[in-house]
Amino acid sequence: MGNKQTIFTAQQLDAYQDCTYFTRKEILRLFYRYRDLAPQLVPLDYTSHPDVKLPYELIGSMPELKDNPFRQRIAEVFSEDGEGNMTLDDFLDMFSVLSEMAPRDLKAYYAFKIYDFNNDDFICKSDLEKTLNKLTRNELTEDEVRMVCEKVIDEADLDNDGRLSLEDFQHMIVRAPDFLSTFHIRI
Amino acid sequence: MMSYSSGGLFNPAYHDSDTLEMDRRSTNKPQHTNPYPRQDPGWRNEREHTHYSSAPQPSSDGIRGQAPSGGWQEESWRGRERIPMSFISTGPGSPSWQHDLNHSTLQILPDSQYDRSPAVRLPSTASGNMTMRWRGTTLRRMSMFPSTDPAYQAFTEDAIRDEMENEEQKLVQELVAQSTGDGIRAIRDLPVSFREKKHIRSQVLAFKSAEKSHHFTCLAECSKRVSSSFRRLGYSVNSTKQTLELWQGVMKEIGGKFGTSVLSYFVILRWLLMFNVLSFLVNFCFITIPMLVHNLSPNIPTNVSFRGLELLTGAGYFTYTTMYYGGYSNETLGHLVQYDMQLSYFFTIAVYMVLCGIILILSMASSFKRNYVLADPVSNSAWQLLCSWDFSITNERAVKQRKNNLRVQLKESLSEKAQGEQLTLSEKLKKLGVHLGSWLLSTSLAAGCAAGIYYLCQYEEERTTDDANQSLLEEAKTLLVPFVVSVMNLVVPLFYSLFNKFELYSSQRKQIYALVVRNVLLKMSVLAVLCYYWMNVVAKKFSCWESVVGQALYRLVIFDFFFLLLGSFFGEFLSNVIGTRLIRRLGVPEFDVARNVLELIYAQTLAWIGIYFAPLLPVIQIVKFFILFYLKKVSLTQNCQPPRRSGRAAQMQTIFIALLFFPCFVGALSMVAYTAWSLTPSEQCGPFRGLNNTFSVVGVWIDDLQETDDHDWAVWIYQNIIRSEIFYFFVTLIIMIVIYIFWQITRGRKQLISQLRQQIVNEGKDKSFLLDKLQNLQKCQPKKKHKQKNHKKHTEQRPHDSSPNGQPHSNAMVQALLARQRLEEEEGRRTSRVSVPSDISSSSSLAQAMLARQRAEASERGEFFSTTGFSEIPLNTSNAVTQPMQDRRRAGEYRADEADGLSSSVSSVMMQVMQARQRAEEEDRFQWAAAPQGNSASAGSSALIQAMLARQQAQNEFDDGY
Repeated sequence: MGNKQTIFTAQQLDAYQDCTYFTRKEILRLFYRYRDLAPQLVPLDYTSHPDVKLPYELIGSMPELKDNPFRQRIAEVFSEDGEGNMTLDDFLDMFSVLSEMAPRDLKAYYAFKIYDFNNDDFICKSDLEKTLNKLTRNELTEDEVRMVCEKVIDEADLDNDGRLSLEDFQHMIVRAPDFLSTFHIRI
Repeated sequence: MMSYSSGGLFNPAYHDSDTLEMDRRSTNKPQHTNPYPRQDPGWRNEREHTHYSSAPQPSSDGIRGQAPSGGWQEESWRGRERIPMSFISTGPGSPSWQHDLNHSTLQILPDSQYDRSPAVRLPSTASGNMTMRWRGTTLRRMSMFPSTDPAYQAFTEDAIRDEMENEEQKLVQELVAQSTGDGIRAIRDLPVSFREKKHIRSQVLAFKSAEKSHHFTCLAECSKRVSSSFRRLGYSVNSTKQTLELWQGVMKEIGGKFGTSVLSYFVILRWLLMFNVLSFLVNFCFITIPMLVHNLSPNIPTNVSFRGLELLTGAGYFTYTTMYYGGYSNETLGHLVQYDMQLSYFFTIAVYMVLCGIILILSMASSFKRNYVLADPVSNSAWQLLCSWDFSITNERAVKQRKNNLRVQLKESLSEKAQGEQLTLSEKLKKLGVHLGSWLLSTSLAAGCAAGIYYLCQYEEERTTDDANQSLLEEAKTLLVPFVVSVMNLVVPLFYSLFNKFELYSSQRKQIYALVVRNVLLKMSVLAVLCYYWMNVVAKKFSCWESVVGQALYRLVIFDFFFLLLGSFFGEFLSNVIGTRLIRRLGVPEFDVARNVLELIYAQTLAWIGIYFAPLLPVIQIVKFFILFYLKKVSLTQNCQPPRRSGRAAQMQTIFIALLFFPCFVGALSMVAYTAWSLTPSEQCGPFRGLNNTFSVVGVWIDDLQETDDHDWAVWIYQNIIRSEIFYFFVTLIIMIVIYIFWQITRGRKQLISQLRQQIVNEGKDKSFLLDKLQNLQKCQPKKKHKQKNHKKHTEQRPHDSSPNGQPHSNAMVQALLARQRLEEEEGRRTSRVSVPSDISSSSSLAQAMLARQRAEASERGEFFSTTGFSEIPLNTSNAVTQPMQDRRRAGEYRADEADGLSSSVSSVMMQVMQARQRAEEEDRFQWAAAPQGNSASAGSSALIQAMLARQQAQNEFDDGY
């Protein structure tokens, strides 16, 4: 226990618990997971808010992420610099959103961002194509890709602007209850 | 409404133009966070302060007045409507502008606008909760400006930043108004980065403590400490709960390798295990322990000894232990403390059943709410592409396999679409015939099984005697029935799966449903026959019939267990061997979630029925499930691959819980209730010996109470509520009325939902309509441009201007024309420095006209004061010249608009005017920031205040120049 006390102050732990869906124990576990990625970079004492960032290469090599086709997008979306380099805060935030406890709307918001490859706040056809290629290993023909994308937009685009806005996406998520359990990474 | 109606101006097509040569610094929008990095809190507070103080009174009242008091959902919804309004109304705060604006036009025109397109008037859909909305609005605002056009970024950013700050302030106030726990929860749900959450949290906490410090400091301190300690207590409770959670690591492993749908089997298994642990604890504590304390050694006849076969049959030695109903006494135990065995037995079972029922209903209801109510079967490929990827999969092979499966599914769905659904009549008839045939066959199979069991039971009944001392062979014969039942449960579902292969269902879901329904039918009919046999035959024949039933259930549970083991050996291991070694075509078997879960449900039904007859049956069940978990895990990882078609696992889970409730739990409950109410307990053994039925134990108890006169209320309740038909009659009536009302409400909601959907579609249509109009306008543009270039130097263009628009309503028109005139006069003086405006596309020419007029006046004034000054600051001049040029062209466009009769394409004049003004102010700022004395100090403040400052500076400078 004494060891735990030196990593975070009680206030820090409170803040972490208030701002994420994790318990104290999980936060510490996540901290150790984070630290294990680069023991020489991450200090064992976080009471003085050290400014440590782990590069994407390390984050993406976690067993939870390394086989995920969207790992780079996930890291980009959750990192504050937008390039996948993560502070401990970003790291906790990422797994908090991907945890079981996070509500649907929050998950949907971040899923939307993950699928929005070009960051234009819409999932447009090019985003869908990228998603599709990531999910099927480029094994569909161009025609098929186009047809699938058209179908997706046709089904989910409520306001007929030819692309999916956050509202469209959320609307779809509400009707796809599995999303809650699939947009979930266990730690 | 605001966000939508601003669409015209905020539309990307408009901003793709690069007419406005403003600050072109390209700003990178970070994706995850608030694009405007937070500065120090001191600055923030100052901002807040200036915002409030500079705003005109009514609007700032609007902001202040809404944070406190309950009903925050409603409040914040209105608040959102108000944001743009307050944002707008801060505009006129700048006095030098006020007289320029014609307020009547601003107010009238939007109305006339809306009258033309009624769909626009409907408010846009409110999405979800407060926090999403907070982000949602800003996101939407941002999304109006694709990041590709940097020209507008600067302006947009300021506008958005302003709005976001407003909203953030409001959010903090809303959070402060809530209780700490709710507030924290709301902060957690905010879709912002961790840093921002922390910031908002600290603000909220600071606000709270500040609020409290007004009151008694000691009290505040205490309550703060109490609340924070409560919070910590909650966290530690959560953390203990997590520690207690079984098999977390294993679950993660399975989820990582096989995905969520397979994992759901294990989740249900764990859940059922918990049910059994609960029932074991309840039974053991309240029934068995008192019994054991009273009399530790079971009173076993001397000629009965443990022979080993009991483990299978549950008979013999076990008959006399506390395992079964017969092992309990009917006495009041204890000398110091009275413990009525009859009452405790009855109430323990009753309470457990009620508890199970409540848990089931609650989980079923929440699962339905989550998974079924809005589930929509139509959107399939969208779902497949965007929602079906399982983020929890961490295994490389599984990822590959999943990708393959997804590809196959997508291809299938495409080919299905290509094929169309044109079936000839004969094909349809054939399909129907196959369905009918297989249903008939499966139903008759189930009926046949049930009949077979019935005759088998009769046969067995003739053979068995009520003799306590059976020979080993006789005891072994009792195993026949459970064996046959288990074989049926193992084999017949295989036939059903076979039927399923011949039937061609249009969707996978229908196929699974058909399979599930048939299996449930089979299992329930077999169980129903068995129950009938126990109730009607066994209950009359045997002296201690409850124990006999308990033994029969014990055997069923044990055999079910063995056959589950066998099933996973043959079903999974052998088919894996066959698939990988012998017939490669079959491949590695898939893990059939539906079949396995149905087996679990059946096992649990047995345990529920047995709870009355064999109170310690849950022990067997716990052991069974525990072993089954590991067995299935090993079998899964060794032999299986994840299911090829990832059906909608969440919905299946809902169905399974529903099945567990009905028919399984309801069936078991009615069986137990029938036994307790109607059947005579055996005379020789058990706690209820000598009573007419089990329930009369309550009557006896009440009679006792009446004699002692201690508990009048209990007696009264029993006589007036429990035993009165009128009470139940009224309760039923009330429930029916409530159900009816809720049904009507649901219907109303359904209508509302369809209306809202229609509305979204309508809004989409409006949007595309407006976009079309805009594009038309853009096409008109080159012509006009040409014309204007020709006439650039001539002020006599004016009569030409005014000719097409003789409409009476355009007060603004006149102004626009005036503006034009002035601009052209100015232009006449400065043509040499005019930079040719490039292509523009405007949606709101009226707004632009207003802007033009203002600009004109502004620059005219400037001109008047400093005719010499311009040569000294050429940068300004060129900018200033560009601007009037644009204005002029917009005015021209307005004219074109009128002439073409396209005036309805202007979506919200009011909004746009304000935006235009802002932009104007913005430009002022940039001009003067570029000038030598540029006041860079105030960068980062809101656009409005900046603009006002800039204006003042500008005027000062002009004055100086003069």
